[in-house]
Amino acid sequence: MIEAQALTKRYGSKTAVDGASFLVRPGLVTGLLGPNGAGKSTTMRMIVGLDRPTSGAVTVNGRPYAEHRAPLHEVGALLEAKAVHTGRSAYNHLLALAATHSIGAARVREVIRVTGLDSVAQKRVKGFSLGMGQRLGIAAALLGDPQTLILDEPVNGLDPEGVLWVRTLVRHLAAEGRTVLLSSHLMSEMALTADHIIVFGRGRVIADAPVSEFIGQGKAATVRVTSPRVDELARLLESPDVTVTRIDEVTIDVVGVTAEAIGELAASAGIALHGINTVTGSLEDAYLKLTAGEVEYRSDASGQPATNNQQEVSR
Amino acid sequence: MTRTAADTANRSSLEESVHGLTFAGILRSEWIKLRSLRSTVWSFSIMFVLQIGLGVLMAFTLPTSNDSASGMVNPFAMDDPMVVVTTVTAGLALGQLIIAVLGVLVISGEYSTGQIRSTFTAVPTRLPALWAKSIVFAVVTFVVSVLSMLLTFVVTLPILASRDISVSLLDEAVWPAIVGAAAYLSFLGVISLGLGAIIRSTAGGIASSLGLILVVPVILVVIPVTWVQDLANWLPSTAGGQLYRDLGVFEVWQAQLIMLGWVALFLGIAALLLKRRDA
Repeated sequence: MIEAQALTKRYGSKTAVDGASFLVRPGLVTGLLGPNGAGKSTTMRMIVGLDRPTSGAVTVNGRPYAEHRAPLHEVGALLEAKAVHTGRSAYNHLLALAATHSIGAARVREVIRVTGLDSVAQKRVKGFSLGMGQRLGIAAALLGDPQTLILDEPVNGLDPEGVLWVRTLVRHLAAEGRTVLLSSHLMSEMALTADHIIVFGRGRVIADAPVSEFIGQGKAATVRVTSPRVDELARLLESPDVTVTRIDEVTIDVVGVTAEAIGELAASAGIALHGINTVTGSLEDAYLKLTAGEVEYRSDASGQPATNNQQEVSR
Repeated sequence: MTRTAADTANRSSLEESVHGLTFAGILRSEWIKLRSLRSTVWSFSIMFVLQIGLGVLMAFTLPTSNDSASGMVNPFAMDDPMVVVTTVTAGLALGQLIIAVLGVLVISGEYSTGQIRSTFTAVPTRLPALWAKSIVFAVVTFVVSVLSMLLTFVVTLPILASRDISVSLLDEAVWPAIVGAAAYLSFLGVISLGLGAIIRSTAGGIASSLGLILVVPVILVVIPVTWVQDLANWLPSTAGGQLYRDLGVFEVWQAQLIMLGWVALFLGIAALLLKRRDA
């Protein structure tokens, strides 16, 4: 259980986290989602006491992190890949961390095995790829078999197999009743991994809801219809409950009627359909809608996030 | 390499009795960190070899009995124990620079690599990590220094004997000097570690630590004001030097207090900043 109350962090005149209050519950994977610079990492750093809040407070299992008698058994944190001296081997890095809590070498070997680092454990971290660095960070987080895990962008730099492994791992840890908080700016990853999502925008919590609800909030189901006689069809669909949006000459988006109903209607009117599909409100839509105006570094028109590029979410 | 997450549930190796964070554990952790870096091992090895090598060189420069017979005078005008002490501590001039650099690196290396965040996540109260680091580095420096000087003594024994100098290690002018010289290096190492923790950058830390040893004394001495020149006696490199050779300014216990004062000053500032700053 992680509890943040009006957590605020300012660096000079810049506010990184602005009065964030939230609760991260055990037994769930909670995702911290937000664009770059939204305050996700700063929030995580404050949870483990690396950064001191300007005001507000955050506790883990009822106490500030630093007040726990066995911090590594309480919280395991991966805050960034390679918070490691590059001249030391992975094994010695973990051994030194473990020693602070009198955790034995057997456990060190165990987390090395679990994270698949056996073959490189004796090598110096200097030569590690980003993915290996992430695995080492996760190994360090698992050392104390902690009740709470905080993982900042854990899948960053991992190959597809590694991504799948992290996803399975965090699901499993949550299923064991642990508290899991992970951050990502990849909405698709969150949709697959998290149960609950906290969205950050410019340092503030702008949404805090279960994934299912979050997707529902974003957008009602839209049906995209392509037909050479699309204007005719649009007139037939007219009704107070239905919104029709013209996309181009032959395409409309319809909200408020199911695809089946539109199909039936078109058939009875003898209108040929060249395409019809349901576009569920995706997490991406919801996310972009929520963070519109909260994005700190916006790309110019040419490189803008593709808001029209709606995806079907197959969940 | 497809591991099932279920592996993590295997807690066999993690005993049910959790010890938690202890100072003994932190000391052990810092010892593992110190010995597992090639740079540390290399630096200590180089210091060890230099210490012995320079001692041997020094011994060979001493006049042989033949020279004395031919009327050449001992150029050092020292009694025998003093000659031995000078020989054994000959490497200190260079050894102190290695220790000063290493002292900075022990902590600045953690900042430059990001290791410090792992360290402070494991020891969120932070200060025990600073104390443990200082203690481990001071003790290792002391042991390596004493060993290298003892070995220098043994190696130079026959060379000195051929020059009719034979002094026991237990001579009351010899062993305290060896202990004092080793203590000097340990003090200096911890002062450098404090500087490294304050400045947090390797380049800046090394510059200020070497500056304190090499540059500041020179500057103070050339300023033609008596009290400023007197101040030079209080600097770590000069006051510390009195731990192993008598320069007639301070007693050994006074020099020890002055060095402790420097350690307290730099570690104190480092501790304050460590608590206050974000890692």
